[in-house]
Amino acid sequence: MDLITNLGIGFATAATPYNLVHCFAGVFLGTFIGVLPGVGPLAAVAMLLPVTFYLPPETALVMLAGVYYGAEYGGSIASILLNIPGTPSASVTCLDGYPLAQKGRAGVALFITAMASFFGGVFGVVVMALLSPVLAEFALSFGPAEYFSVMVLGLIAASVVSNSGVLRGVIMVCAGILLGTVGVDVNSGETRFTGGIQELRDGVSLVVVAMGLFGISEVIVSVRGATQSYATTKISMRDFFPTGAEWIRSIAPAVRGSVVGSFFGTLPGTGQTVASFVGYALEKRISKNGENFGKGAIEGVVVPESANNAAAQTAFIPTLTLGIPGSTTMALMLGALMIHGITPGPRLITEHPELFWGLIVSFLFGNLFLLVLNIPLIGLWVRLLRIPHLYLYPAVVILICVGVYSIDNSVFDIWITLLFGMLGYVMRLYRFEPAPLLIGFVLGPMMEEFFRRTMLLSRGDPLVFLERPGSAALLIAAALLLAWALLPKGTIKRLLLPQKDI
Amino acid sequence: MIGLPETKGVSSMINRRKVLSAVLTGMMAATAVAGSALVATAETAWPEKPVRIIVSFPPGGSSDLIARLLSEHLTTELGQQFVVENKPGAAGTVAATALMEAEGDGYTLMLSNLTPFSVAPTRFPDTPYDPIADFSHVTYIGTVNLGLFVRPSLEVSDFAGFMELVKSAPGDIDYGTSGVGSWGQVISVQFQAETGAEMVHVPYKGSGPLRQDFRADVIPVIFDAIPQNLPSVADGETIPLAVSSKERVPTLPDTPTFTELGYPIVAENWLGVSAPAGLDSEISAKLDGALQKVMAMPAVSDQFETWGIIRGTKTSAEFSDYVASQATSWAPLVKAAVKK
Repeated sequence: MDLITNLGIGFATAATPYNLVHCFAGVFLGTFIGVLPGVGPLAAVAMLLPVTFYLPPETALVMLAGVYYGAEYGGSIASILLNIPGTPSASVTCLDGYPLAQKGRAGVALFITAMASFFGGVFGVVVMALLSPVLAEFALSFGPAEYFSVMVLGLIAASVVSNSGVLRGVIMVCAGILLGTVGVDVNSGETRFTGGIQELRDGVSLVVVAMGLFGISEVIVSVRGATQSYATTKISMRDFFPTGAEWIRSIAPAVRGSVVGSFFGTLPGTGQTVASFVGYALEKRISKNGENFGKGAIEGVVVPESANNAAAQTAFIPTLTLGIPGSTTMALMLGALMIHGITPGPRLITEHPELFWGLIVSFLFGNLFLLVLNIPLIGLWVRLLRIPHLYLYPAVVILICVGVYSIDNSVFDIWITLLFGMLGYVMRLYRFEPAPLLIGFVLGPMMEEFFRRTMLLSRGDPLVFLERPGSAALLIAAALLLAWALLPKGTIKRLLLPQKDI
Repeated sequence: MIGLPETKGVSSMINRRKVLSAVLTGMMAATAVAGSALVATAETAWPEKPVRIIVSFPPGGSSDLIARLLSEHLTTELGQQFVVENKPGAAGTVAATALMEAEGDGYTLMLSNLTPFSVAPTRFPDTPYDPIADFSHVTYIGTVNLGLFVRPSLEVSDFAGFMELVKSAPGDIDYGTSGVGSWGQVISVQFQAETGAEMVHVPYKGSGPLRQDFRADVIPVIFDAIPQNLPSVADGETIPLAVSSKERVPTLPDTPTFTELGYPIVAENWLGVSAPAGLDSEISAKLDGALQKVMAMPAVSDQFETWGIIRGTKTSAEFSDYVASQATSWAPLVKAAVKK
């Protein structure tokens, strides 16, 4: 069978000691980079890029990719322990991970996170190995209308994420959308809401908003002494293991999260943040334990983690099969190939099978390394909590500043981050949650872009959203989700299955 | 040439010394005397500490790769670390502003290109710098050119067929560029003005999303830089109709230029190395010399070729004139393209 031959080629490439060492180095570095709030894989991959001048292309890619998905593992650690996400996509993990830690179950949360990440990652790799060509075509069949409709679904899902009521959630989503309009409008080329500030012409960066609203505001809260100190809680190795019931409860959410993550990963430009938000929101509706979401539900950690790690893997599908990078970090991976004179495009798989399949197999090794690496580290991470806040939080602020600066080498971004930190603090005082704002900020501008592009292509006919089957299906799903959120429990069931009531 | 304009605040003593040393250097080069002791006195000590090269794009793009490749070799050549610093944003004006604000001491350079120096000052009237007066343009690297590409689904195989189709259905055909104010869009407007073609513009956020929708047949026509489209041309997924260079490009030898087809459309995305204004002429000469040497290395020139950069040589003075002429020739085109 083809797949077996291909995997054989992959193993031959990936399983050499040389490549394994680079794979391990990549994921190891990635985990640490991910843990540090604000410092993301982009900075790490950019710093490593010159090294790839001296490495064979497949080794370079194996290592850089390791940093990338390794950071996705590490990103959730600070979310759980400190309520400060290491990467924007780990913001969702704060919602239930931090409450779990406050209950003294940080070890369990970290353990289940490592397992969920591993599951999501491997799921993504399997999807990639089996379905890459099919999914690449699927991603292409996703036109502007479908993108718009999937964003609508995402936004509606985001409004129901809020734990402090749908109205507050909607207000925050709208605030996020407005914030997203800052910068040059794609369609007209006009500059909007920049106040004449040159640095704002491309809008505010996602990391800036996420680190300000979640990270800095958390530090301010801790200065006020609003968080209880649980730093003295003793955690033994035994406390890491979830109970049997928790294991069983996690299986279905992990699968659902991985499916959602794999789906969003293949769409260039959407990525892990959208994947983890939508996964979380859907799970909150589906799960029997839905009312406990936001209060420390295990499922609330499992879903975003499996989703963002699956997305981190499947994001390589459009990058490698079409040569179209979905994010700046992915563009860097392609850069590593271009250094070696390989122009990524549709022919990459056939012309460089050892590279493509070697990478896939290296992902398997990498995820295994990450699991083996992360489980013993839990004890170490939990000990982080014993560091007095007096030392820990200033260090966190410095790391956030360094991380934010490293994106565009911009001092301006640091100030904006601090501003968002203060905004986040005020929002907390009035019980407004940052998560829906963040998703509105990510999805709003994309929604506008795709809506207007669709309108431009259809010459102003809005029916196109319903005429295209993919778009129509997504909009119907969005409508159902909205009805589900607004109507009293059981109404939809009664409407759809009236005979059961009799 | 050297030290000719009497810049204010510079004493004639220093000028005389500069001229003298320049003459000395020139004489030595001409007579090819390898007097190492003399070279040490005549040559500038620059660089004595790490040099940063600002890139106006995020890491991973071709400009970034060019800067990294050059800095690798400059580091070996000049014995100091050359560090790439990505300052993307606002059509490259963030990077160019940072360059303008830096000291003209040779420790801050920029991989300069068309957008921040020839397009942005017209597109954003509040651009805080003058593309000529505020900079020393040191070394010209070469150009990347633009192509007009169509999908096979359009069922045309050459430019004439395309024009026939467009003319038969004015306002029906969609075309994409990597954004309003991008060089592709500016040229597309000029193209329509020159040819009388009427198409509907669909702007994208950069070349990546543009090519995604192009490949998916959402838009059948694009104006985009040539290099990134070559793999799909080789696959038969993309048909090149015309290129914007003065002469045919080596990577697409069978594709005519717009000029050949009878339309005076020439667009080059030039690349170079620039510094803040007031760069010492000795440093400029030394940097230019090192860059010329590095770019002549097969390891570099071969890479440039695979990345689709068409090398050219200009002296620093010619390069400055070129930047100035580009700024003037693009200004009316940009004005026409972004006016609404």
